[in-house]
Amino acid sequence: MKPSALQLGVAPPENRGIAVLDFFLRLIAIVGTLASAIAMATTNQTLPFFSQFVRFRAKFNDLPSFTFFVVASSIVSAYLILSLAFSILHIAKANLVNTRVLLLVLDTAAMGLLMAGSAAATAIVQLAHKGNNKVNWFAICQQYNDFCKRVSGSLIGSYAGVVVLILLILLSGVALTRR
Amino acid sequence: MEGDSTTINITETPKERKGKAPLLAAPPASSSFKPVVQKAPKGGYKRGLAIFDVVLRLAGIAAALGAAIAMGSTDQTLPFFTQFFQFKAQFDDLPAFTFFVVANSITAAYLALSIPISIVCIVRPHLVAPRLILIFLDTVMVALTTAAAGGAASIVYLAHNGNSDANWPAICQQFNDFCQEVSGAVVASFLAVVVLMVLIVLSAFSL
Repeated sequence: MKPSALQLGVAPPENRGIAVLDFFLRLIAIVGTLASAIAMATTNQTLPFFSQFVRFRAKFNDLPSFTFFVVASSIVSAYLILSLAFSILHIAKANLVNTRVLLLVLDTAAMGLLMAGSAAATAIVQLAHKGNNKVNWFAICQQYNDFCKRVSGSLIGSYAGVVVLILLILLSGVALTRR
Repeated sequence: MEGDSTTINITETPKERKGKAPLLAAPPASSSFKPVVQKAPKGGYKRGLAIFDVVLRLAGIAAALGAAIAMGSTDQTLPFFTQFFQFKAQFDDLPAFTFFVVANSITAAYLALSIPISIVCIVRPHLVAPRLILIFLDTVMVALTTAAAGGAASIVYLAHNGNSDANWPAICQQFNDFCQEVSGAVVASFLAVVVLMVLIVLSAFSL
């Protein structure tokens, strides 16, 4: 870091802008992850015919990958809501180092968890749309249309959350270099 | 203290000659006095972290490359056949596995290419730009590798357990070796993810 004629204890004004941007990005990520968790968790489609032995209802917890997706999205949105407090602290006092490093590390873990959940759900959604002839897995989307559409749409929110988390990590890194 | 007009003679004590006198400050290089706040360069721990960074990158290359190769070389043919059904399992039968091989190869290549940047961080520990570049690229790679590992993991879970609600049979009961190799590859890929996350934490501490 180049020594410059700085006064001790006053952060450069760019850090405050970064902290405000961080706060707004966290709000966007909260909306995205929460919306996708709720959209996936409220799936429930029953086909209008039935027989005595076979079930024709599709819910998210029929597939363990979707359950994992809902759980992961909920955990990440809860973490993001709690980290809003740190974000506001950084707007107020923009030259804290330890909390920024902590936030960077936790954001990385949250991004990994969210991405794992999204990837698991995406793999199942791709299977549900296309099926797989080689292993005899039938494409269930041809029957459960609404279920499929809702599940595919909820993935958009969580991928947006992943992108926002990557931006947040980058912002924390940039803010750490300006001190 | 600009432009002293009087000179004050001070006798030198042995301590001052040795540079250990506590009250005598170093004479200013010029007659002007700049209030410069200079941070003491902390090269020590950053250099150690950077060396550990390079070692971890090598481990990450091994993990990601191992995962890609293990998945890419799966090929099991069951010893019976009929005219209409295929009893061969390969990684490119499932698009999630194809994506897995491609993504892990990209991660291994990235880790190999990022070693020179990491060496720059060892040689010049006070530079900020290479560390910032590494943090950003490592984060993107964590996202890519986690996507590949998570997608493959969910397909492997399906292959092991099947899903009665969707009428998807558990193929692992027939394709045993294929399943084992594929599961091992997924584990190796998650190890690569852990390595990348530790690399991000290291870079954060050195910033």
